[in-house]
Amino acid sequence: MSRGFIVSHQRARIIAALAQEASEKGFHAVTVADIVGRAGVGRNTFYENFGSKEECFLAAQEFAMSTALERVVDAAGELDDWSRRIEAGLAAFLRYVVEEPALARTCMVEALMAGPSSVRFYEESLQAFVSLFKLGRDVSPHGEDLPETLEEAVLGGVFWIVYQRLVMGDAETIEAMLPEIVEFALTPYLGAEDARRIAAERNGEVGSDGDQTDRG
Amino acid sequence: MRDPVDQSVEAPEFPPELARLPPGRHGLPREFVAHNQRERLIAGLAEAVAENGYTGTTIAHITRHAAVSRRTFYEHFSSKDECFVAAYDSVMAELRKRVGEAFDQEDKWPQAIRAGIAAMLDFLSSEPHLARLSMVEALVAGPVVVERYDAAIQGLVPYFQAGREGRSEEVLAGLSPTTEEALVGGMVSLVSRRIFANRTEELEGLLPDLVEFTLTPYLGSTEAAKVARQS
Repeated sequence: MSRGFIVSHQRARIIAALAQEASEKGFHAVTVADIVGRAGVGRNTFYENFGSKEECFLAAQEFAMSTALERVVDAAGELDDWSRRIEAGLAAFLRYVVEEPALARTCMVEALMAGPSSVRFYEESLQAFVSLFKLGRDVSPHGEDLPETLEEAVLGGVFWIVYQRLVMGDAETIEAMLPEIVEFALTPYLGAEDARRIAAERNGEVGSDGDQTDRG
Repeated sequence: MRDPVDQSVEAPEFPPELARLPPGRHGLPREFVAHNQRERLIAGLAEAVAENGYTGTTIAHITRHAAVSRRTFYEHFSSKDECFVAAYDSVMAELRKRVGEAFDQEDKWPQAIRAGIAAMLDFLSSEPHLARLSMVEALVAGPVVVERYDAAIQGLVPYFQAGREGRSEEVLAGLSPTTEEALVGGMVSLVSRRIFANRTEELEGLLPDLVEFTLTPYLGSTEAAKVARQS
């Protein structure tokens, strides 16, 4: 095993440990001792990788956000239809939250409480989603009249729903909420009727790729 | 955007906790002074937090702004956190009161929503320090405050739920159990992002966007835009 492999593996373990600890007791209460204890590495190893607990937090946040965004892009990128892209992107995002609740919590809950650099990074990540949503203006019958801040508001709403479930420790319930989240996101662009139809259609579809579960 | 009815009521311009009693001897009853000291400490905390952020604020900063002794601080609060919670609660009580009053004054729900949002934006933009304390610093001030913050936001949900009343089957079918939660979350995120970036002067300009965004699920976008652009 190369030294490079060990180092990157250690880094990943430390990040995962921080996310676990932070989601259990809140970032501010977490100590470096907690992190190294859970990661099973020495204190020296921690400081070889990160200058401080805060630096480690930012790395965890970056890792989680970029992984989630990658999944969204993978899921949405192949599709032509905007509403399908939004739906696929949101589905991928929610699935990530369910699979990695601790990391999701790190970048969506703890990030807001971890100080200005983290909040700034959170804001920047949100912008990546904004550009995907903005494409909806081209397909909307009243795209030119939509308020300038619409994407920010829609995403703020979606993130708030996810945030609340994470705070309550109900991350696993979030995937079942996909149809209503999709409907909420599409309504301002396509109108309630079309938004509902599209959200419901997917729900009724028989998944051929195995990633659709029956949500009645 | 001032409330016209307020002139007949003896309503203070400013929450009493956040107004200040001039320092010095005044021969006031002890209980009044004690109460007033507490209010001064709360005001002092708001100023100190505006200057240094929650994390950078010390008890010395608070007592300096409040012009009281350290000992007085500890007669009222056991810690900076406790003082922050008191400040947060009084800011939110004032905000809640203003929003509730503005909302209640309108007969029609869409106009009531508009008035409530206008009152919120008016308060936050005229008090940038308190806006920052309640929407930005609150999140770094520990779990007790964060819990209150979450509850305060969810507390706005019923204002929007009231919009379901009397809607057609078709409109109701387009609303999900979490529609209001998402609307409130979206609204707060627009507002707090500007406060975080020290752009409180932009808040009042958000009124039409926020009104249109929140009314669209109930009225459709054409009607929502009409209410949003009313003056």
